[in-house]
Amino acid sequence: MIEMQNVSKVFRTAEVQTHALRDLTLKVEPGEFVAITGHSGSGKTTFLNVAGLLEELDGGRYTFDGQDVSRLTDNQRSGIRNEKIGFIFQGFNLIPDLNVYHNVEAPLHYRRMPGPERHRRITAALDRVGLSTRMKHIPSQLSGGQQQRVAIARAICGDPRVILADEPTGNLDTTMSEQIMELLMEINAAGTTILMVTHNPELAQRVHRQLHIVDGRIDQIHQFNPLQRRPAATSLAG
Amino acid sequence: MFIHDLNLAFRSLRRNPVLSALMIAAIAVGIAASMISITLYHARAGHPIPWKDDKLFAVTLDIRDDEPPRSFERHPEYPPFQVTYQDARELYKSDIPVHSVVMFRSGQVVTPQNKGIKPFGVSTRVTTADFFTMFDVPFLYGGGWPRSDDDAPGPVVVLSRFINEKIFGGINSVGRQVVLDGRSYRVVGVMAAWMPRPKYYDLNGWGGWEIPEEVFIPYGWGRALKLSPHGNTSCVRRNAKIDGNDTLFTQECVWLQYWIEVRNLADRDRYQAFVDNYANEQRKHGRFPRKNNNRVVNVPTWLAMWDVVGDDSRTQLALGFIFLAVCILNTLGLMLAKFLTAAPISGLRRALGARRADIIRQHILEVIVVGLLGGAVGMLLTLGGLGCLKVLMFSGRLAHSNNPDRIALIQSFVHMDIPVMLAAIGLSLLAGVLAGLYPAWRIGRLAPATFLKTQ
Repeated sequence: MIEMQNVSKVFRTAEVQTHALRDLTLKVEPGEFVAITGHSGSGKTTFLNVAGLLEELDGGRYTFDGQDVSRLTDNQRSGIRNEKIGFIFQGFNLIPDLNVYHNVEAPLHYRRMPGPERHRRITAALDRVGLSTRMKHIPSQLSGGQQQRVAIARAICGDPRVILADEPTGNLDTTMSEQIMELLMEINAAGTTILMVTHNPELAQRVHRQLHIVDGRIDQIHQFNPLQRRPAATSLAG
Repeated sequence: MFIHDLNLAFRSLRRNPVLSALMIAAIAVGIAASMISITLYHARAGHPIPWKDDKLFAVTLDIRDDEPPRSFERHPEYPPFQVTYQDARELYKSDIPVHSVVMFRSGQVVTPQNKGIKPFGVSTRVTTADFFTMFDVPFLYGGGWPRSDDDAPGPVVVLSRFINEKIFGGINSVGRQVVLDGRSYRVVGVMAAWMPRPKYYDLNGWGGWEIPEEVFIPYGWGRALKLSPHGNTSCVRRNAKIDGNDTLFTQECVWLQYWIEVRNLADRDRYQAFVDNYANEQRKHGRFPRKNNNRVVNVPTWLAMWDVVGDDSRTQLALGFIFLAVCILNTLGLMLAKFLTAAPISGLRRALGARRADIIRQHILEVIVVGLLGGAVGMLLTLGGLGCLKVLMFSGRLAHSNNPDRIALIQSFVHMDIPVMLAAIGLSLLAGVLAGLYPAWRIGRLAPATFLKTQ
């Protein structure tokens, strides 16, 4: 699903060069749930941004879903983000003046999807995260856990191949973190590949594999629950 | 997608109402300032008879003494704008033009037959017969008089619509009698509404911003009745002076307007040669001491020579646009601040799959909405501003005029017509786009990952 070979990313200012990723090599299988851990500044978020085509890489080769995406144009990267990748952020990143329904709808607009199809997917996604009764609420009227569930609904409504989650439980208490983790595992169980950055070692041990990043390199790999191939995956598009 | 982006534009405006209001106000003030100056300029810069650009010409002769220009002469390079009686008489003999008009403005007193109406003064144009054909004067009833009534003047008169209304209640008065300065004239025509703007055929007084005369009588009556010219009489030779009405006809003083209508530009060139030859002949008799500087000019050139649209109008227009540019720059700064404040949301949209073009288009639509709202408010400010100008500049003249033509003329100065309104809409769009193009482009260029952690 995701294959990186010697990928590097350097941030440059007039005086300083920061090597955020150094010769990073990695392979993630379809349907895998991978946790990425590491200290602050180790390169976890940069890795996720590169994996999510939000940042261009400076060196190496990146193959996503069988396609070499190392040197795509900005428009091509936008297209892949829109159709194949779902994002979940620590701070939820919902649009404050849009209600739940329209927040979930946002990525579908950029796919030029017809209205009825958009509606079907949005209601299905909100059903799946248990928020179908909160469609008209704006984010500030929801709890943190509910907001993160809206973000998850937004991520899955486009039926992505991969979900990239950057500390999705970082702003939540233990109970809500547990609910979100359960939801992500459920989504993964349905066949969606998930890469999740987390500081929580307990959560990291519940996934298939944990990658520990130090100074932009994968330092350790822990295999907790090896991926078992599933005969069939359910999807929203079906 | 358009509806979606439009919806986002209005949401974005509501998200920061104070900043949005400031942007709309900045554009509105700029639009109002420029539209007021455009309206005033437009009122002055119109072409009163464009369909006769290559046929209708004012004739001027440089009869002045060969002396250095006097300090008060604004355009010493131009010949006097009027001609002497003697020259007018000679020019009138030419058969090159299809129509020739020699004329001046005077004033008379009308004594209505209806005893209920008191005698009142009118402005009179004393003119040769071709006036009505040459200047395309529209008639409600009847028409002008024949050329035979010019020299041995016939007692005929053409009335304006307003005077016909006042004396005869607006009926077809052709054949009725009108008493002017105690002499009876037969009405041969009543003009329909006619308001050349400016009154190009005689720009003396008010710079041409006056309505046409109310009464028209044959040219011959000028001398026969010793009617004095109400306009500019200027003795252009040092030995000339006016000493009573008769001397107008003998002295080197200019006081008559002279116009011709020719078939084509070749005839105009022939006429120029004719005028120059005439001046050469006269020079042999001690007249026309200068080199030939006689001009046969079309209406636009004539208006330019008279500075009808003066430097002050152009300066005013330029200032209006400079002010608009300043407002656009201010709006640009506000727009940039607003867009950058909302950059995390744009970053998020990019992460969700929006292309750069989607983000730029969404923001351009927002600036167009700001521009149009600014334009709508600006239009209201313009109407208010023009209303104030009408009160400040013209209230005195409006209060003392019962002539609807004059009132219409005055109001036309502060009237926004359809072309000016369309210009306002176009300008609003342009202002919005100019103010928002750079901020929209800038926000579209931001890397999507930049704000995702901080959103």
